[in-house]
Amino acid sequence: MGYTYNHDLGTQGMQKELGLRDDQIINKFNTPEDAECEAALKELVEQGCHIIFATSFGFEDYVVTVAPDNPDVTFCHASGWQCAIDDLDNTHNYFGKIYQARYLSGIAAGLKTEANMLGYVCAKPFAECISGFSGFYLGALSVNPDVKMKVMYTNEWNDPPKEAQVAQALIDLGCDVLGQHCDSTAPATAAEAAGVFHVGYNSDMIGAAPNASLTSAVWDWSRYLTLAVSNLVEGKEIPQDFNPGLIEGAVNVSALNEAIIAPGTAEAIEAARAKILSGDWDVFEGPLKNDAGEIIVKEGETFIEPASSPSWEHILEGIEIVG
Amino acid sequence: MNTAINLMNAAILAGTPLLLATCGEILTEKSGSLNLGVEGMMYMGAVAGLAGAWYAEQWFRQGGILAVLFAVLFAFVVGALGGLIYAVLTVSLRANQNVTGLTLAIFGTGFGKFFGEILGLKAGGFVSVNAATKGAFGNIKMGALSDIPILGTILFKYNWMVYFALLVAFVMGWFLNKTRKGLSLRAVGESPGTADSAGINVTRYRYVAALTGGGLCGLAGMYMSMVSQKGIWVHDCVSGYGWLAIALVIFSTWSPMRAIYSSIIFGGLTVMYMYVPIPGLPAAIYMMFPYIATIVVLIITSIWQSKEHAQPAGTGLNYFREER
Repeated sequence: MGYTYNHDLGTQGMQKELGLRDDQIINKFNTPEDAECEAALKELVEQGCHIIFATSFGFEDYVVTVAPDNPDVTFCHASGWQCAIDDLDNTHNYFGKIYQARYLSGIAAGLKTEANMLGYVCAKPFAECISGFSGFYLGALSVNPDVKMKVMYTNEWNDPPKEAQVAQALIDLGCDVLGQHCDSTAPATAAEAAGVFHVGYNSDMIGAAPNASLTSAVWDWSRYLTLAVSNLVEGKEIPQDFNPGLIEGAVNVSALNEAIIAPGTAEAIEAARAKILSGDWDVFEGPLKNDAGEIIVKEGETFIEPASSPSWEHILEGIEIVG
Repeated sequence: MNTAINLMNAAILAGTPLLLATCGEILTEKSGSLNLGVEGMMYMGAVAGLAGAWYAEQWFRQGGILAVLFAVLFAFVVGALGGLIYAVLTVSLRANQNVTGLTLAIFGTGFGKFFGEILGLKAGGFVSVNAATKGAFGNIKMGALSDIPILGTILFKYNWMVYFALLVAFVMGWFLNKTRKGLSLRAVGESPGTADSAGINVTRYRYVAALTGGGLCGLAGMYMSMVSQKGIWVHDCVSGYGWLAIALVIFSTWSPMRAIYSSIIFGGLTVMYMYVPIPGLPAAIYMMFPYIATIVVLIITSIWQSKEHAQPAGTGLNYFREER
């Protein structure tokens, strides 16, 4: 019920839309971010795949190693940056403006918190994560000017026991709504057990923690997978770098947990969604200060990500990195 | 003060699965079998415990205590099955203990992931137990005891498995040191040849120890899926705790009683960076502390050369009567 599960849902969506047979798709799960990934990629090539999607950041080094030897195979890598700028025709990057969905989900957190203290269970001190929690915090801040946030890292993409422990540590520090950037449902269930609330990532987690999970920031990968596969079949160019957001329907918030959300949450989220959909407003709008109090985005300016791989690494004022 | 109490709570919660698995491994090693497959047996117990609880809910249309009983039964039996695989290979077939244990670790991890996924498919997407079962694995309120300031929070507010693990450690300490059978078991581990000449059935002792030890590792795994993850199957829910437990056996110098505080120290070291961050110290270094502590203990005990604090002399060696 996390990142990979959700990517698989995207694959299934693409399969349904394009009418592919089961034997036209090969999945490899539980691939570590080491040399085993290179072997997995080569196996897929040998099994005759025409297009290979590599979904984890650490896979990219192996993609750019394997791709030059296999010019007839198309490689698409999520969340990386090397494929977008290399000279190879058969490598592509894709990701998306998940910070927009984070912003919307942050609104639910900002309205719900009573302690005005959010907690964030975060995988790694790395732009993709920092961009995500900054969006989340700005969403909360837009509806609750007093809100603060504590961030703690697990230093793993997926380590469920540690995610549960970090969630508990944040709750012990007085946080009453948790956000997360990690793969499991552990923060959701830890929040539920402690009687606080939670905003998920990747997939709807209300089933896992019905009394805690408010909503989730989610991906719809099927949009990109369908585009890439159908372009390949029709012989059209696949974009070298693809960075869709709310407008393209690639990111969204999952259904709100009506029983426990704060009143007015849905309206506030829809208002923000309309602003983003209009196309002339985005999340990182100035003035924004970092935790040292320096202006990082000036008034009247908006920071726009230059590529699909997030690059925002500023820690905003009001966010504290605990550990 | 609050930080100290919270850290203590988190350390005990992190230490409980370690204590159970460590007790299981101590029992196994005391009988002369070095089973490195703890991680695998924990995975097997993790998925079996969850399956037991989930199936009990499906069969009897209710969760809670009944689901807990089924979870315990499934986890123990499947963990013991891992121990059985090990015992058959090493005791009966005399395969190399290290290789067998490492293989079991890989096998059990795959077993857990495979059946976890299948369970997910059966449950329609992902497995989750109901609120009653979640509650039965949650913290217990013990009336007035839980309300004692500080002490109540440190001692009387945990899930039942915390107290169960303590009980297991005490019973095992008593069994190994105060009973005739415990003495025989230690004899089998120290010198199987001598034990055999004294009329002790080496094979039977090693089998029973490996199975019981495996069952305890299974229960430790159940803690990971049912308490730590609240009855939801997630990838990597055991996450290396089995390897930590093997280090902890050394750290507690093969004593279940010492394993009690050692597991709390180990558990504390794994969560300490969350509660007592040291500015400038990378978390990666912080996370090495349990292992550094183990190395230090290894060095100290080998300098000491105390028989009581050392690995049983027969551990790691298969016993073959004809070669005596």
